[in-house]
Amino acid sequence: MVIETNTLTKYFNKVKAVNEISISIQPNTITGIVGRNGAGKTTFLKMIAGFLKQSSGDINVFSERPFNSLIVANNSIFVDDEMLFPDVLTLREILVEGNRFHKNWDMNLAHKMLDYFSFNPDAVHAQLSKGKKSTFNMLFGLSTRCALTIFDEPTTGMDAAVRKDFYRVLLKDYLAYPRTFLISSHHLDEMEHLLEDVLLIDKGKLLIHMPIDDLQEYAVGLSGSALIMECVLKDQDVLYRETINKNTIFAIVKRGADVENLKRMGIRIAPVSPSDLSIYMTKDFKGGIDDVLK
Amino acid sequence: MLDFDSTKPIYIQISEWLENEILNGQFEENDKVHSQYSLADMFNINPATAAKGLNLLHDDKVLYNRRGLGKFVAENAKQIILAKRKSETLKGLIQDVVIEAHQLKVTEEELIKMIQLSFSEEKGDE
Repeated sequence: MVIETNTLTKYFNKVKAVNEISISIQPNTITGIVGRNGAGKTTFLKMIAGFLKQSSGDINVFSERPFNSLIVANNSIFVDDEMLFPDVLTLREILVEGNRFHKNWDMNLAHKMLDYFSFNPDAVHAQLSKGKKSTFNMLFGLSTRCALTIFDEPTTGMDAAVRKDFYRVLLKDYLAYPRTFLISSHHLDEMEHLLEDVLLIDKGKLLIHMPIDDLQEYAVGLSGSALIMECVLKDQDVLYRETINKNTIFAIVKRGADVENLKRMGIRIAPVSPSDLSIYMTKDFKGGIDDVLK
Repeated sequence: MLDFDSTKPIYIQISEWLENEILNGQFEENDKVHSQYSLADMFNINPATAAKGLNLLHDDKVLYNRRGLGKFVAENAKQIILAKRKSETLKGLIQDVVIEAHQLKVTEEELIKMIQLSFSEEKGDE
């Protein structure tokens, strides 16, 4: 295992940002970390990178405690939109320093991407636009070829074309140089084809950790008349339910139900994509956005 | 090609795509098929997903393993694929049609007539 956590917890002023998360991540896999804003994704990733120390629980990365670990610092890179680079260096010079810092650095890849994404090599990082900054940080992160590469919301500010290129170059480079990737994002639908595993976090807690292929078949949506639905849902593992109107109920349940039988009862069956499932499972039961406007 | 918006899991789409390649003769018996890595590159998907699609076909005995060399098309692969599609895909489609007919109050006879009509139209097209 590259990463192992056991009841990993982090408090900020008595608020549990990460609440007893226990996971193991296999080497050379791509894992997507999804969840809503403030779910605890960044805190979790920063503990893995050794940027933050846990309040309780255990964490091992490359069999080391990451906080203050030279081994972890040497073999991992944490990429987000707050990466700081010295203002006195040009982009080209930052790449030269990257090469000095990271033993697996690929300068050829770095220069090719700098050119492909039309950067001026003499530009200064602080003066780049938001999207360009993200793009540069991404290309820096990929060029390190670190055994553990963490992307925290890497696509912030990138336009659709660049996001697509990013996912493609990441996959190609992973195929050529397998390593462990953790990628957090709000756009699960955009990156799900790239992932092997998905981690869904909500309010600091781990909701789901499974292969994306299993998640695609994990749940089904049922809708039908309230009377029949009430009856059917008693025997189901209900992940989400919503009353559409007086006579109709929509629910998401774990797959396993006898679908043919439900169809015969007049219930409509709809597949639920991993992206929709994660939205439904992390919805607050306060009603929806519609209620705000009432 | 693959449909990422489809509700069908990608690994199943991969195995069906390979089945089609075998059915239309892109791969003959005992030919080596794509590796999980070349499928991942071709379709822009995680290699684990591609491997799952390949393993599905291995479980169905459409492909066989040669250690260290990869996966190859089994000798009666075409027959296996056709038999599987008849028993699974066609049966499922018919089940859906029957349920829908039931809800629309279409009788068995009417439905059979509709199927026969569809058959004769198909023949007319040829």
